[in-house]
Amino acid sequence: MNLIRAELLKIRSTSTWWIFLLITLPLWGLTLMFNGFQSAYLLSPEAAEGMSGEDAEQIIAAGDPANVAANLYTNGQFFGVAIVMLLGAIVVTNEYFHQTVTTTFLTTPHRTRVVLAKLFAASVFGLVLWVITTAANLPAGALIMGANDEASYMGDGTVWRAIALNGLAYLLWAIFGVGFGVLIRSQIGATITALVLYFAGYIGAAIFFGVLSDRFGDWFNNLQLLVPSLASQLMVSGTELPGNPPQWAGALVLIGYAIVAGTVGTLLMRTRDIS
Amino acid sequence: MADGQIVVSGLTKLYKNVRAVDNLSFTVEPGRVTGFLGPNGAGKTTTLRMLLNLVKPTAGDATIGGQRYADLADPLRRVGAVLEASSAHKGRTGINHLRVVCAAAGFPRQRAEEALALVGLTPAAKRKFKGYSLGMRQRLGIAAAMLGDPQVLILDEPANGLDPEGIRWMRDLLKSLAAQGRTVLVSSHLLSEMQQLADDLVIIAAGKLVRQGTVSQVMDSMAHTAQVRVRTPQATELTEALRAVEQATITPNGDGVLLVTGVDAPTVGRAALKASVELHELTTERPDLERVFLELTAGKAAIR
Ligand SMILES: Nc1ncnc2c1ncn2[C@@H]1O[C@H](COP(=O)(O)OP(=O)(O)OP(=O)(O)O)[C@@H](O)[C@H]1O
Ligand SMILES: [Mg+2]
Repeated sequence: MNLIRAELLKIRSTSTWWIFLLITLPLWGLTLMFNGFQSAYLLSPEAAEGMSGEDAEQIIAAGDPANVAANLYTNGQFFGVAIVMLLGAIVVTNEYFHQTVTTTFLTTPHRTRVVLAKLFAASVFGLVLWVITTAANLPAGALIMGANDEASYMGDGTVWRAIALNGLAYLLWAIFGVGFGVLIRSQIGATITALVLYFAGYIGAAIFFGVLSDRFGDWFNNLQLLVPSLASQLMVSGTELPGNPPQWAGALVLIGYAIVAGTVGTLLMRTRDIS
Repeated sequence: MADGQIVVSGLTKLYKNVRAVDNLSFTVEPGRVTGFLGPNGAGKTTTLRMLLNLVKPTAGDATIGGQRYADLADPLRRVGAVLEASSAHKGRTGINHLRVVCAAAGFPRQRAEEALALVGLTPAAKRKFKGYSLGMRQRLGIAAAMLGDPQVLILDEPANGLDPEGIRWMRDLLKSLAAQGRTVLVSSHLLSEMQQLADDLVIIAAGKLVRQGTVSQVMDSMAHTAQVRVRTPQATELTEALRAVEQATITPNGDGVLLVTGVDAPTVGRAALKASVELHELTTERPDLERVFLELTAGKAAIR
């Protein structure tokens, strides 16, 4: 408990956290704009026109108002979890960059506890960001739904499930971030690698699967799940989309990754020389 | 304050191809200031870091009051350490740096203010660490070490960057802490400072123990390197006379001064009397710690 307080104080006592919040804000606005236009398109009756078979089916399913609402209320995830991941990484790499790791481990020779406290503190930050974005998404989303002559769907179970799973995504990405920071001690190295893997991995994998899934079919499409950024997007889709793996599978994959990242990170930290 | 004894036994650390510390054993007693000396790269920092569970020894172990650092229930209340390559977050204020440590160690918050006052940093409490001078940073490190009012203090070159006033403050602080019965182990390259500060010495070179003992024991062990300083208007004659004495090495030092090693002052006096040489000065110069240190580590000091 003391350790968690100390780790939270570490985050609060530097300017990192509010700089991160400041970065999140415009990115959130950007995705809201994009999602606003997309919602208008999906909700319009002519969305699936001129398409055939599975594509049309997917668009129609995506155009289910509950799904559109879920998408709006989880707006900002794409950049949000990246920010949370960065903070998680920095929580660790900071200690090497500023050479505070000596003091930290002198104070607490049980390094596992330190890593756990960091995981916890980063998760708290992740959840705070989730609460903030959700609090902003609810009125903004309801407004957009209203503008498209739809109900707000705020009482809908699938919507709230998506919002909850979105929170889980923020939490899990915070954990990845910490794992990343432990693996790559260099501040710049860790943040850049994490960002590149996140965005390039996302775009690269989207293209890769887009091109190849037609050829190999659904089982291959399901492998998308193994790409963490795609898995977390899948998690927050409101309803099940035809041809896509179920949401809980995305959650399971992310939890698996988070456990691996956390465990490997802890084991590494325990044996590493601090000099 | 009992059992603050530090015992290092058979400590060894192998880096890729360097034996940074090589089967090193020594003890450090409470109630005394122990100076830990060695040339650059001798393995002082590595030894202290192994003692503090920051670096994993290849072999051997080290205990503080009979326990390994990792096994101490309340490490900061038992041991305070100031190490090189230890710092604070550049964007965090000095007081917040100490508050973080207090939070993690479970100390009351006001300990941070008290420790800051102890090292004279109160005026800079709310300034960010990046605005601290070298000496202020060092003081903040000492403040962090003092938070838990520990019975054992371990300091790696704490005088680094301190002004003369700061060095004196540190000397008085460490002496008074030792006088209270605490254990103080301090590494330094400032040998004249050490001579004033330390009660005991541990000297290492190339990762191995060279000498351990009280300051006077260590100095006496090298007493044979004492030199006799003699001044005479008849330098040539005296040199002739001393040549006859075995073991004497004579180095002229200008202005009729000869530095003689290998023999004591009475021997030089007798030789002068026998040769009817007039003397204006005859003194024994005991080697200072710097000379003793250089003699002891000669040939072992190469950076590895
Ligand atoms: N992390 C490391 N990796 C490889 N070699 C190391 C490492 N740390 C120390 N060494 C080597 O171990 C030896 C001892 O280093 P150490 O820092 O303990 O010396 P020191 O006595 O503290 O020297 P100084 O007086 O310069 O501070 C040196 O040869 C150094 O190069
Ligand atoms: Mg050193």
